[in-house]
Amino acid sequence: MNQTVGHPILSVQDIHKAFGGISAVDGCSLSVAPQSVTGLIGPNGAGKSTLFNIIAGLYRPDDGGIWFNNTRIDGLPPYEIVHLGLSKTWQIPHELRNMTVLENLVLGAKENSGEHLLNLFIRPQEVRRDERRWRARGREVLRLTQLEGLANEHAKSLSGGQKKLLELARVLMTDPALVLLDEPVAGVNPTLAASLMDLIEKLRLEGRTFFLIEHDMNVVMNRCDRVIVMHQGRTIADGTPASVKANPVVIESYLGG
Amino acid sequence: MIFLAFLAGLAALFGISILQYTLAGFRLSSIVIVAAIGLTVIYGIRGFANFAYGDLMTLGAYVALFVNMNLALSLIWGAIVSFLALAFVGILLEVLVFARLEGRGPVPPIVASVGVGLIIQNGINWGGTTQQWIFRLPAIAEIPIVPGIGFHWIRDFGTFVVGIGFMLSVHILLTYTNLGKAMRATADNLELAKATGINTKRVTYAAWALSCSFASTAGILLGLIGVLSPTMGFNVLLLIFAAVIVGGIGSPYGAVLGGLVIGLSQEMSVPLLIWLERPDVLHLEHSTAYKVAIPFIVMIGVLIFRPWGIAGRPPAFARRVFFMERITKVLGRRGDAREQVRGEGGG
Amino acid sequence: MAIDSGTWINVGFYIYVSIAFAILAVGFNLQWGYTGLFNAGIAGFFLIGAYTAAFAITPPTPPSIGYPGHLGGFSLPLPVGAVLAMVASGAIAALVALPTVRLRADYLAIATLAFAEVLRIFAINLESITAGTIGIPGLPPPIEFNPPDAFLNATVKVAVSAALILVLLLVLYFMAESPWGRVLRAIREDEEATMALGKNTFQFKLQAFALGGALMGLAGWLFVITLNYIEPTGSSAATTLGFAPAVTFSVWVMVIVGGAGNLRGSVVGAFVIYGFQWLSVQLKDLAPTELKEGIPYLRLMIVGVLLIVLIIYRPEGILRERKRVLR
Repeated sequence: MNQTVGHPILSVQDIHKAFGGISAVDGCSLSVAPQSVTGLIGPNGAGKSTLFNIIAGLYRPDDGGIWFNNTRIDGLPPYEIVHLGLSKTWQIPHELRNMTVLENLVLGAKENSGEHLLNLFIRPQEVRRDERRWRARGREVLRLTQLEGLANEHAKSLSGGQKKLLELARVLMTDPALVLLDEPVAGVNPTLAASLMDLIEKLRLEGRTFFLIEHDMNVVMNRCDRVIVMHQGRTIADGTPASVKANPVVIESYLGG
Repeated sequence: MIFLAFLAGLAALFGISILQYTLAGFRLSSIVIVAAIGLTVIYGIRGFANFAYGDLMTLGAYVALFVNMNLALSLIWGAIVSFLALAFVGILLEVLVFARLEGRGPVPPIVASVGVGLIIQNGINWGGTTQQWIFRLPAIAEIPIVPGIGFHWIRDFGTFVVGIGFMLSVHILLTYTNLGKAMRATADNLELAKATGINTKRVTYAAWALSCSFASTAGILLGLIGVLSPTMGFNVLLLIFAAVIVGGIGSPYGAVLGGLVIGLSQEMSVPLLIWLERPDVLHLEHSTAYKVAIPFIVMIGVLIFRPWGIAGRPPAFARRVFFMERITKVLGRRGDAREQVRGEGGG
Repeated sequence: MAIDSGTWINVGFYIYVSIAFAILAVGFNLQWGYTGLFNAGIAGFFLIGAYTAAFAITPPTPPSIGYPGHLGGFSLPLPVGAVLAMVASGAIAALVALPTVRLRADYLAIATLAFAEVLRIFAINLESITAGTIGIPGLPPPIEFNPPDAFLNATVKVAVSAALILVLLLVLYFMAESPWGRVLRAIREDEEATMALGKNTFQFKLQAFALGGALMGLAGWLFVITLNYIEPTGSSAATTLGFAPAVTFSVWVMVIVGGAGNLRGSVVGAFVIYGFQWLSVQLKDLAPTELKEGIPYLRLMIVGVLLIVLIIYRPEGILRERKRVLR
């Protein structure tokens, strides 16, 4: 098993979560190195998405702890976790359907003074300034994710692949230090998938960390520094893509299920 | 036996007159239970709160009245005709209105049901029956048990018997018949029920028929203990909702418990309210009129602390309400914002 | 062409009552059309505003034989009454919102309906405070003319209401189309996604609900100074001028007609729906006798049909919500 060099940006320790008697996450521990692209794989039902939801604050774990940049985050509400710099995308895109693409993006802004009611009246200049700034940033991110022409289209009119891109774009607007990506390229055509992963690589070099769930083994093997494997709610392997691929325990979990 | 001991204890504490309120409470509970079972069945299977339910009760009572008065038949016949008529109305509502709103979330059917209720209630109003009617019943004197408390065969005993009868039949239906089991499965998980081959359409029709016929019976019982008026059902609608929520949505057994809680809490609050009316206490005028507010307070309490009711399970992907944490959050510090999350496929 | 005084008074009535409804509708639109909070207790907040205003602006009427007396009688100036009405309604709305905005939409509806009904029971029975069903007399109109002139009175009322709704629309439009309003719409679209974007959705919902409630209170104030009477209405569903659930349901239709998220649409919806009700009263004498008595009921039945038809076929409203194109 590889050890993470230096202090991990994310540390999950012995997390338990059960739903109505069925254990979804059963004593899971892992850590993610800063500025890495780390993959999380495992057969269906292993608890990966549930774990992501727990980390992002959408579920509260029954037991265990989660540390992000040395701050304990389990039990915090999602919006606080986002403000600390940890954001998550959705496996099935949760685009805001009846709002435009640009509106979707601008909502990712963490500090938009116009979102506070009082500011509208007592600090109108600042509100205008922030709006301009965030709209410009939104357009920038649209360029990065190749969605430029769609700024003023309703999000519901986007294709499946474009919605996935929108998910990524939106999460980037929150300026996250760590991004949890839940199947970022599932259902996306290979060319687009490749440019998406290129983008992620570029952003990693800028200092961000990516932790992604994926079933596409190409992506996992070629793009991830490290791969963590989950099975039946806990971690069963953790190492370089090559070592994980050859790991007999991992192979058995996929075959045995 | 516990029950009699409970009654005896009450009588000892507060004087025998309290039994009058307990009796009224059980009577109201019987009505609420029958109504709540009907409401909760549709709530569980169709997933929405039927705001027309009170007016359906009124309709049931008036159909029985029509048979009772204009056709000069005994109320029993009226009840049977009404039962069948309302079952038909229920299926009609599903076909015409609510089937078209499937999958649209909890609000559109509520809006539509409000519309249905408005139509029914004002239709009855218009039918020229703004005056108040009472059923034609054979004249029976009250049987005095103790001074001040009377026991009227039809009003009290009849209500209990009907209430218990309906409870038992629902129990038998749900536990022993195929239809009943299918209904439980559908209420539990619609997709799963469809997948296992249950004809959910037929189950839904059956549920509507049951729901509305129970409404008719509850309406008739309501008419028995008071007078008939076009708003009689609507006036108790919130009580029925309260019973369903307190008991747990979708659970007929919960409806029984909820109905008991609601009926008893309303009627047994009367002595307390009368006490409050005294000039040396609060001098609250018309205090007994507030008795209807008591069940609502219970309901609000349940909504705050245990929204899934007595018999409900906190759903796995629950929208959990943590009131105290809400307060702390408003005051600035961290709170709990766990929200319902749609299952995201395999983990 | 000289307008017949009687007609003007009548039409004026239609205008300022429609405007009161329009304010209710705009308030509800903020709660439901923008934020997705389905408030079934509109009548309750309307009532709070109306009674608060009544307490504040009337001269005192001491209890006497046949009159139970009422709270207040501070004879405050009308604008103060307006502010008090808004504050009272808004504050109580905030209190109601605290435990309820986290609830599912149907629970919220039931809870708010229960709230409104309990309030009505209190208003009817707390006679020493609200003067019960007799009502509070002496509600002053905006300007008292001496000698009393109904024509001028009507004109002033129309002017005041029109000015009010215009100012409100401007202010609310500014607020609703701001980044703050955008978060509200996002909450309506998908609350979890909005939370995952870093928004404290609870606070936004609280604010929207309280603001909507305050607006409903303001509508109550307008209602009271233009109609110059107040009483809680005994019958539970038959009338639409009062604080019965029928008022709540009428406002629903108005907002559905006008379109969720469309403030101007709510105003139009109010004028249309109330217009239909007002017309039915005007034309009452023209109706054949059998129909005449049934008109109030027929009106509400049509409201019911409208609710059903609209929610099935045009839930976004007849006037569409327009796309927000950001420059």
